[in-house]
Amino acid sequence: MVRIIEVGGLSYRYNEDQPWVLRDLSFSVNKGEWLAIIGHNGSGKSTLAKCLNGLILPQKGTVHIGGFDTKNEKTIWDVRRMVGMVFQNPDNQFVGATVRDDVAFGMENNGIPREEMIRRLPEALRFVKMEQFAGSEPHRLSGGQKQRVAIAGIIALQPLIVILDEATSMLDPEGRRDMIRTMRYLNRERRLTVLSITHDLSEAVYADRMIVMNQGEIVREGTPRDIFQSPEFLEKIGLDLPFAVKLGHVLYEKGVPLTDAALSQEELVNELWTLRSNM
Amino acid sequence: MDITFEHVTHVYNPRTPFERLALDDVNLFIPSGSYTSIIGHTGSGKSTLVQHINGLLKPSKGRVTAGKITIDANEKKPNLKALREKVGFVFQYPEHQLFEETIIKDVCFGPMNFGVPAAEATTRAEESLRLVGLPSSYWHRSPFDLSGGQMRRVAIAGVLAVHPEVIILDEPTAGLDPQGKREILHLFDKLHKNFNLTLIMVTHNMGDAALYSDQVIVMAGGRPVMADKPEKVFAREEELRKIGLDVPETMMFLDKLTAKFGAGQISPVFTIQETADTVIRLLNGGLENV
Ligand SMILES: Nc1ncnc2c1ncn2[C@@H]1O[C@H](COP(=O)(O)OP(=O)(O)OP(=O)(O)O)[C@@H](O)[C@H]1O
Ligand SMILES: Nc1ncnc2c1ncn2[C@@H]1O[C@H](COP(=O)(O)OP(=O)(O)OP(=O)(O)O)[C@@H](O)[C@H]1O
Ligand SMILES: [Mg+2]
Ligand SMILES: [Mg+2]
Repeated sequence: MVRIIEVGGLSYRYNEDQPWVLRDLSFSVNKGEWLAIIGHNGSGKSTLAKCLNGLILPQKGTVHIGGFDTKNEKTIWDVRRMVGMVFQNPDNQFVGATVRDDVAFGMENNGIPREEMIRRLPEALRFVKMEQFAGSEPHRLSGGQKQRVAIAGIIALQPLIVILDEATSMLDPEGRRDMIRTMRYLNRERRLTVLSITHDLSEAVYADRMIVMNQGEIVREGTPRDIFQSPEFLEKIGLDLPFAVKLGHVLYEKGVPLTDAALSQEELVNELWTLRSNM
Repeated sequence: MDITFEHVTHVYNPRTPFERLALDDVNLFIPSGSYTSIIGHTGSGKSTLVQHINGLLKPSKGRVTAGKITIDANEKKPNLKALREKVGFVFQYPEHQLFEETIIKDVCFGPMNFGVPAAEATTRAEESLRLVGLPSSYWHRSPFDLSGGQMRRVAIAGVLAVHPEVIILDEPTAGLDPQGKREILHLFDKLHKNFNLTLIMVTHNMGDAALYSDQVIVMAGGRPVMADKPEKVFAREEELRKIGLDVPETMMFLDKLTAKFGAGQISPVFTIQETADTVIRLLNGGLENV
């Protein structure tokens, strides 16, 4: 297994007279893995994301991406090419005057040959259903359309690693499903490594592994099943349980003898079905 | 204050190659003291619609009336300051409405702008920041040195501090952590119930629209295609799916369960408790009891 991201003893603060916002983080991510990162507002998730593509540098510790140290100026562009990031607010990400230019600009910056650019551009816009808006100004789109364009920009780059920082927060239910489906497809079929920062716990249950942040520290790490085993702890740090888990608990309290901790709606349906068949 | 849309059309960038029809002959009524949710697919015109209510956008055709103030396509814009004192607006992206040097100044700006004395404005600002759960250690920092969810909290506090009669929330819970989301929705519900505040919430969360509002407006292609009580709107599942929407998680789950059990469709339920009770009825006896 290839460790594509390695973080060792990472600490960061925005200002010397402000508290540390990342404290001594250590973890690694394997190539092709899907990692979900959850944590309360201000727990340091976006700051961590910015450390992973070298936008900001560790003040203590190290970050290695594909073996390159982000502190090494000579390889910083290699790092940036490997990591595609969809920011929490897409407005911060747009550079082009039109949607088409914006997506093309990112590719040009990454040194993608022209013929390849011409091939990828319509494909990326089609992925996010924004072909019709190719000539529009990115700043004059609806909130969800902006998010779609930001995602197209990253898909076109075909990076090794994608970091989604709340990238579906403004999408309608169908758009959200489409986007997760696309990312899961790329994750499985092209071994894209995905780091998904999200407050949507029902989305997090599909991850291979999860990291829970609290006040700048990693306080839990494990499979979604492990993580959602401790509801009191999650609640204490401002988090919650996915819908299916919560419903399972309520059913259990009302006397339904559920055994397995179902994480997703499908799993809970199946468990209830088995239960009824044995009744 | 009652809010009325009469034949409102909005065209962005008219007479240019970028011309786009965003609202198409909209007629709507939002009664004073109601809690209205607006749902609709991406680009369906939700943000454009609500920005007409406090005069951020002017209709290309038709007119919008909020209380005593009317904004008519064919007339000069009326005094918007009087309108904005009564109608607060939390933007879809909160950074668009933060601008002061410190958080506390940012939240004080609204009330002071409408003539509230500095001391009183500060009291209100502190109170509002506490309500949205931003610790006081942050108050003297720049609003731009905040995380996404913290910025959203400050933007909401800024609107609360003005004590408006109507609050428009464009995706207010996007980016909030689960606890923050629960607390903010609870806060709005309380303000609505205790102070008869009129609330208009644009949301992609079907569950929130169902749980809190008296009226759900469904937008599609620049027009309201449904406007009714939540239990009526969410009973029209097929139509909602067709326009990229969905039903709340509670109903989605029961749909999956009834499909597996071979039971018929169930009427809308929105809380976890009701969902659990329905599941138990399904387990115990089957369909007749549901
Ligand atoms: N540019 C900045 N300057 C100073 N402090 C900052 C800056 N950006 C963020 N912070 C602070 O750093 C901490 C971590 O912020 P970060 O944006 O990483 O949180 P987050 O986990 O992404 O939160 P959210 O869920 O709200 O997006 C917060 O306390 C925040 O106030
Ligand atoms: N400033 C603008 N200039 C030109 N067109 C715009 C502008 N703002 C929005 N539009 C277009 O108007 C239509 C309606 O946009 P609006 O922002 O009202 O959608 P929305 O329902 O709020 O969508 P979302 O859920 O994505 O936020 C969209 O097709 C959008 O591209
Ligand atoms: Mg963040
Ligand atoms: Mg919008």
